Amino acid sequence: MIMFNYIASFFLIALGFYCIITKYNLVKTVIGLSIADYGVNLLIISVGYCEGGTAPIFTAGELTAASTFVDPIPQALTLTSIVIGACVTAMSLSLVMKLHESYGTLDTREIRRLRG
Amino acid sequence: MSFFDYHHFPIYSIMVLFLGAFLIVMFGKNKAVRNTIAFLAVSASLACMIALVKPVMLNGEIIAYWMGNRVPAGGYAIGIALEVDQLSLFFGLLIATAVFVSGVYSLQYMDRDDNVPQYYTLFLMLAGGVIGLVLSGDIFNMFIMVEILTFAAVALTAFRNKVYGALEAAFKYLVVGCIGSTCILTGIIMLYAQAHTLNFAQLAALIPGNMNNATKLAFALLYIGFSTKAFIVPFHPLAADAHGAAPASISVLISGVLTKSGIYGIIRLTYMLFQTMNLGSFQFLLVFVGSVSMFVCVTMALAQHDFKRLLAFHSISQIGYVLTAVGLCTGLGISAGLYHAMNHTLFKGLLFLAAGAVLHETGTTNLDELGGLSKKMPWTTALFLVGAFSISGLPPFNGFASKWMVYQATYQKAAETGNIGFLLVTIVALITSVLTLASFVKVSQSVFFGRLPAKYENVHEVKPGMIIAMSIFAILCVLTGLFPGFVTKNLTEPAANAVFSAVRYIDAMMGSGYAGSVMGDNLPVVSTVSFTQVGYWAPVSWLLILCIGLLAVTIAAVLGKYDRVSEARPENVDPKYDLFWGGEASEFSQVGGGDLFWGFKHNWRHYFGFMHDLHSGVVNDYSLWAIVALSLAVVFITIVL
Amino acid sequence: MTMVLSALEYLGYILIFPGFLFCFFVGLLLAGIDRKIVAKMQKRVGPPILQPFYDFFKLCGKETIIPAAASKTTFLMAPLVGLAGLVVLQMFIPIHGWAAFSGTADIIVILYLLLIPAMATMLGGSASGSPYAGIGMSREMVTVISCELPLVLVLLAVGKVAGGDSVTFSFSVISDYQLANGSLILHPSLIPAAIAFLMIIPGETGNHPFDTAEAETEICEGLLAEYSGAPLGVFKLAHAVKLLTLSSLFVALFLGGVGTGIIVIDGIILVLISIVITILTVSLVHAITARLKIEQVFKYYWTVVSGLALISLVLAWYGL
Repeated sequence: MIMFNYIASFFLIALGFYCIITKYNLVKTVIGLSIADYGVNLLIISVGYCEGGTAPIFTAGELTAASTFVDPIPQALTLTSIVIGACVTAMSLSLVMKLHESYGTLDTREIRRLRG
Repeated sequence: MSFFDYHHFPIYSIMVLFLGAFLIVMFGKNKAVRNTIAFLAVSASLACMIALVKPVMLNGEIIAYWMGNRVPAGGYAIGIALEVDQLSLFFGLLIATAVFVSGVYSLQYMDRDDNVPQYYTLFLMLAGGVIGLVLSGDIFNMFIMVEILTFAAVALTAFRNKVYGALEAAFKYLVVGCIGSTCILTGIIMLYAQAHTLNFAQLAALIPGNMNNATKLAFALLYIGFSTKAFIVPFHPLAADAHGAAPASISVLISGVLTKSGIYGIIRLTYMLFQTMNLGSFQFLLVFVGSVSMFVCVTMALAQHDFKRLLAFHSISQIGYVLTAVGLCTGLGISAGLYHAMNHTLFKGLLFLAAGAVLHETGTTNLDELGGLSKKMPWTTALFLVGAFSISGLPPFNGFASKWMVYQATYQKAAETGNIGFLLVTIVALITSVLTLASFVKVSQSVFFGRLPAKYENVHEVKPGMIIAMSIFAILCVLTGLFPGFVTKNLTEPAANAVFSAVRYIDAMMGSGYAGSVMGDNLPVVSTVSFTQVGYWAPVSWLLILCIGLLAVTIAAVLGKYDRVSEARPENVDPKYDLFWGGEASEFSQVGGGDLFWGFKHNWRHYFGFMHDLHSGVVNDYSLWAIVALSLAVVFITIVL
Repeated sequence: MTMVLSALEYLGYILIFPGFLFCFFVGLLLAGIDRKIVAKMQKRVGPPILQPFYDFFKLCGKETIIPAAASKTTFLMAPLVGLAGLVVLQMFIPIHGWAAFSGTADIIVILYLLLIPAMATMLGGSASGSPYAGIGMSREMVTVISCELPLVLVLLAVGKVAGGDSVTFSFSVISDYQLANGSLILHPSLIPAAIAFLMIIPGETGNHPFDTAEAETEICEGLLAEYSGAPLGVFKLAHAVKLLTLSSLFVALFLGGVGTGIIVIDGIILVLISIVITILTVSLVHAITARLKIEQVFKYYWTVVSGLALISLVLAWYGL
């Protein structure tokens, strides 16, 4: 079952990259970045999963050798990654706005003053 | 441990920068307060780094610092750690110096911009991010620092958003930079899934003996991720865009510091984490990518019309030298590569600051518009020439010392392996060097010499603060060029030794004997690193001879009435002081930057045309290059490992 | 006392032999012979052999005009730096195993020191502000790039043969090898390299047919267009010294086995060989060729000459 998660996460990353490469609209590029980011988040969460695990919240007496819980570190990493993803989106969208102001277009093929 | 114990200094040097960024947001409205905070932060960070030189570089100690003193338990690293070995400190020292000089320069350079508090906040975050990256002993922490520095760099690239192309450059950098960051994060997660630790040293102990398809994929992802940070081929167009658009003080950081963090990442990855550099195929990979970077970027630079864009391409060309030398996997090679990395920070910083000075006074960096500034800005010109000579590798400046070591290293490697490919690398390196000289001759002709356009009659020299900042770099350029023995002995050789001693790195972090117990048979053999060279060069005696020679020639010339010169003064304007013209009335005539070296470009016109079309400026193309590079890296690593 | 003596000795090296005075006399002599031979081949009487000396002293007596557009310091210092660079270069080149300052430089350093005079000329010309100098500078740089590739290949080939399995850049190793095993020109794989080096000499010195950078008839001496008086004289002198430098470099690289071990006689042999090389590579070529265009210069050096040098390098690499 967890295999499906891995496949889905790499599919999302590939989809995001595909979107960045083939779409000529800046907003779609930003969407592509976000999709790739979600793929990575899914991957991180899946890595920490273990069959039948509970939430990793225990008080001192509860923790026994028999208790199974999912790995808490990937969850912490995911939170960080989500925050960073939000930053990427915010920053890139603000740049897109500014670009639209000064170039009057969102087409990447026309935003190429710097080349050669 | 007391508060001033040097074991705390690594964390202080990161903290002061972030703290400074925070304080400037709070109290940065006032100019004096803001400048004081920024200056104190960068100086404190540099001081911490310098204080670490003695214990780490000279005494050979490796500092492992566990945050909150959460030391490893049961053979598992659970805390977050900083680890400072000689390699980290070498890069940290380099970065702190560049940050300090750039900070000093900014104090006067940014005086005409608005939103300066935000500038300093981002500046200090960028600096903190890079220093954090090189000192970090935790791979996820490295990722966080990579993200911080990428964001700060993107925001600073777009800081002057009215500048031609600044927003565009920032957006392209953001997109490809994020592809790189995504790669790094995915790679880290895949390593975590295999080894269940994020500690760098522990990973370095666990991974090399247990390579499987997942770790190979992780390796490819991490390699591409750090390549985007180092801007090596095929990510060089982003460097050119970003450097050209950012304020000069930030270009110094992007070129001198960000690229170094990428190189640092690649060294750590290949030499320590996966320990694959003893394989010929990996040496081939790095040397090939390095050589291509150095040649492609120098030819791209020859075709540029913008001062800073030209410098940006040269940046990557020099990074190509570094990567080539590092990829040789010999003591001399790594020592040469690190030496060149250091010199690159110094001279490229100097050149970017000089470009910034020109921009500050004239308002443009277009090579076709400028000219004749040497009469108006004599100090900037002199300092620019020091930088130009250094990067072109004219003796006795520092570029020569390190390039000379790169040639020695590649030639020696060619002789040792009998592989004529490495010989080709030596030749490419030598030719690249003379092409570098050519493009700086072009810059000096079209910016500082030649005729002064009428609209720049009122240009004057920049303020002393900026001159001082440039002078620091210039003096360091000359000193590191004159005393290569001192530099190699105290800085690059300890760092090169550290590169080869993964076991010491692991043991310092995880407790002595850990590497041996985990890695068993896979324990890398610590070979004695050889730094012997096939040639000899004593710059001080050479310089002495040149000075005496110059003195002798000058005295002879003065005795021969060399000094009987007549100059045009306002009261005696005689036509004989005009330039010679073939009979026509003198219009303004300046040989434009782009048209120089026509004889060279004509023969290579198909190549130049092809390269110009290839660098299309469309972000989709650059992203495509990144993905193709990633696929190639995956295929390559799967095949050879 | 001994320190003073050794300091005086080194000062003697710098000022007299093989330094400044030696370069001055031999360089101008070579230039004079060159002019005479060219004239004879063109059925002219030609100037006396000492004419370059007269020219130099005459130029030193003339007024030096600094154009209003020029930056003074660079304009005046450039010729001196160029000349000093060449004189220093001369001192590192061993003469039959003897060098004034042995062990302070290798062939890579020499390669870069050769750039200093070219660089000085370019910066000086560029600092004069003249557009002719701009064009001249562009061509000079392309000529330097053209010569660089074959020169690099030649030096690497020599380093491989002299160093054997452990390649070398060191002059003393190359010199010792030749003292022990005879001149390198007799080594079969280095014959193409020696020919290539002879072909580089007129390009490096900027003589016919590679003098596009000066091209009196079309860009009025290019870089030197605004120079007059003593600085011009120093440039002309540097140009003459470059003939000696490159000839000595050829002798050191390929004819190191020729000599007696007595420094005076070796010095005379060096001068004689330099005269032969100058006549062979500069004067004869000058008399029978017309000036090339700059892109032809580039093409010639990167195909014909580099090809020869490359053959040599490959042969040397596989130990033939």
